[in-house]
Amino acid sequence: MKRNLFLKIFFSYLAIIFFSFLVLNIFIKDEIRKVMTDQIEGELFTHAELIDLSSARAMSDQLRQIAGISGSRVTLVDARGRVFADSEKDITRLENHFNRPEIQEARLRGKGKATRFSQSLGVDMLYVAVPIKAKAQVTGYVRLARPLHDVQNLIERVYRKILLAICIVAVISLLVALFISYKLAEPIRLMERFTERLRQGEPQGSIILKTSDETKTLADNINYLVDELQNKIRMANQEKSKLMTALTSINEGVLILNTDEKIEFVSPSLTNILTEQYGDIGGKTLLEAFRNVDLQKAFQRFRQSRDTVTGEITLGQIDPVIMGVSISEVHGYPGEEKFMVVFHDVTRLKKLERIRTDFVANVTHEIRTPLTAIIGYLETLQIGAIENAEDARRFIDIMLKQAERLNRLVEDLMTISKIELGEVNFHFEDVFLPDVIGSVLPLVEAKAAVKKIAIENTMSERTPGVLADRDRLSQIFVNVLDNAVKFTPEGGRVTFGAEEKEGYIVVTIDDTGTGIPKEEIQRLGERFYRVDKTRSRELGGTGLGLSIVKHLMHAHGGKMEIESQLGRGTRVSLFFPAKKT
Amino acid sequence: MEEKRHTSLHYEKELQEIKNGLIYQGALTEKAIQQAMSSLSERNSDIAQKVIRDDDEIDKLDTELEERCIKILALRQPTAIDLRFITTAIKITGHLERIGDMAVNIAERVLQLNEETQLKPYIDLPRMTDLVGGMIRDSLDSFIRGDLEIAEKVRRTEQIVDDLNEQIFRELLTYMMEDSRSINRSLMIMQISKNMERIADHAKGIADMVTYMVTGENVRHQACPMNE
Repeated sequence: MKRNLFLKIFFSYLAIIFFSFLVLNIFIKDEIRKVMTDQIEGELFTHAELIDLSSARAMSDQLRQIAGISGSRVTLVDARGRVFADSEKDITRLENHFNRPEIQEARLRGKGKATRFSQSLGVDMLYVAVPIKAKAQVTGYVRLARPLHDVQNLIERVYRKILLAICIVAVISLLVALFISYKLAEPIRLMERFTERLRQGEPQGSIILKTSDETKTLADNINYLVDELQNKIRMANQEKSKLMTALTSINEGVLILNTDEKIEFVSPSLTNILTEQYGDIGGKTLLEAFRNVDLQKAFQRFRQSRDTVTGEITLGQIDPVIMGVSISEVHGYPGEEKFMVVFHDVTRLKKLERIRTDFVANVTHEIRTPLTAIIGYLETLQIGAIENAEDARRFIDIMLKQAERLNRLVEDLMTISKIELGEVNFHFEDVFLPDVIGSVLPLVEAKAAVKKIAIENTMSERTPGVLADRDRLSQIFVNVLDNAVKFTPEGGRVTFGAEEKEGYIVVTIDDTGTGIPKEEIQRLGERFYRVDKTRSRELGGTGLGLSIVKHLMHAHGGKMEIESQLGRGTRVSLFFPAKKT
Repeated sequence: MEEKRHTSLHYEKELQEIKNGLIYQGALTEKAIQQAMSSLSERNSDIAQKVIRDDDEIDKLDTELEERCIKILALRQPTAIDLRFITTAIKITGHLERIGDMAVNIAERVLQLNEETQLKPYIDLPRMTDLVGGMIRDSLDSFIRGDLEIAEKVRRTEQIVDDLNEQIFRELLTYMMEDSRSINRSLMIMQISKNMERIADHAKGIADMVTYMVTGENVRHQACPMNE
């Protein structure tokens, strides 16, 4: 950069000098030559006219004298052109000079001159001739000749001086060029380094220049542009982080597809859900990434209608997630088509929905079964069975049983809804757990004895007391123990014990029953949910037992947990918060 | 396969459409066997009926994809890898169609089973279903990416499915020996398990075809190194 600038300046200076010299040469060279020649000429004429031709002797001496003074060759020619005296040559060997142009000019005009190449001396010569007059009669001519190389020499000397001057000027211009280029290049170099750093993305401030010329304006402009650029980048980054924050914090997962229907963007929340099951889905099509028929169908519907399409898909097999999907077009990308797929997790909603519909179906079913029986027997009585006292009594017994069941059902339902509404009054007191168990055991022992089920109590007498409503606590234990006995085959065993764990007093009831499939465990607390739909009803449950336990445990600030292994048995753990001492 | 670009964009698109069609068909079959299995474990006959109905779509896709492949063979006259791709695609769609039929078989057995009380809780069958579903997905993945490693994984999983089938068979044998009333149900469950095992065979068949497509070497009917 600097070098280039320097060379440019230096060579332009050199060119200017060269051209000035050329012009000088054109104008001056001829002038010098003319002036010099004229001067020599005048000198020669003066000398020629000084010659006195009075005597031959004097003439000969004079001739040499004048030749010596003027530094020229003097020739005397008579009127007819014959040479009769010469300062340098032997006159006998000289030819007739009458036809020489200078002689002719002198004869006609009184003065003659000529410049030509002298054969005799071998150089350019200036010849000057004047007539010798005696009584207005031309008796001869004096001719002086001088070689012109004096003029040439002089010119060369002048030129040497000029050349020297040029050299000096050239050296000076070199220095000046160096200086100017350095001064000029400095701000440019600064800006160059600045922009280079900028290009490499290093942090930088702004350029500060001490100059005040155009480079200053340029630097100011660059500073302004850099500032603007940084502002724009900062704003873009801010927008981006805002968008990412929004996308991260909302529950909905967002997916953007490009024109080729390939996945271009996956929001972080969606990535979290998907990575485990589907790996990296970037760059794939929806079909490739999800292998989901319903999603693909929804997308095809969208491609046909071009309207926002919503659908519901199930993702994953092991731990399925139900997603509400909505597919729409993204606007604001000129010349490109982009689509957005929004995923909304509706698993919980779906589950609640199913619980609700199941509940209604179950309630009606549970109520209808005893009612059908009652109505059936009543009809039988009506059409005549009432006459048979024995049958009638039996029927009434059955009807009473069914009505009691109906009553129990309604009571259970009311209990649950009351607990849920918070309308049950609990009388919390310090309860000694073995006491409660002791009062509950006789209720189930009879049933257990029939099935030859051993009930084992490993609860320590030192089990600390809990804060609970005594009656509700009995209800909890009755329900759980009843269940355990109910679902344990003959000859099995039910064990219960207690331990302190993580701030809870945990009462565990283990049985050696049929066990519960894993996927059903979490539904156990639901009202009317039965694992084995046919058997449980045969055993006379209302389907509300565990649901009540769950609610009561919540009311006590505790919780219920169930672990089970198919074919091995089930463990129900009741967590009561330990009293703070 | 993926990185390659044909000079004719249209040709490229046709090949891509076949790929997409196969993935879609694969997703359909996978869904079919998942649904057949949930109809069994949830004792839901409606889902089983749906599986039987939906098989039409799989069958239709089979003929449609085959036609497309033949059209490409006739019009484009593909060579080398493309030729193997097309012939493999024809085979794969056939395999998938058969898998769909087996899902229907399972659904039919489920309908019969639902008439009676449940014999036992199903533990190994859902596991088998997950494995087989994964095999279908993996075999198609290996086809699309030309990835032999995934194909190898499918072959290994097939062995596990075989073992599971064997285990179910033995378990059901004990049920039948204990109680002759359970024979009918046990046999139906056995058929379901057998169908699952055959689906796994088909998935392995797809993986073998992929090996052929990529290397040009035929590995079908060769013993799996796991067996030795």
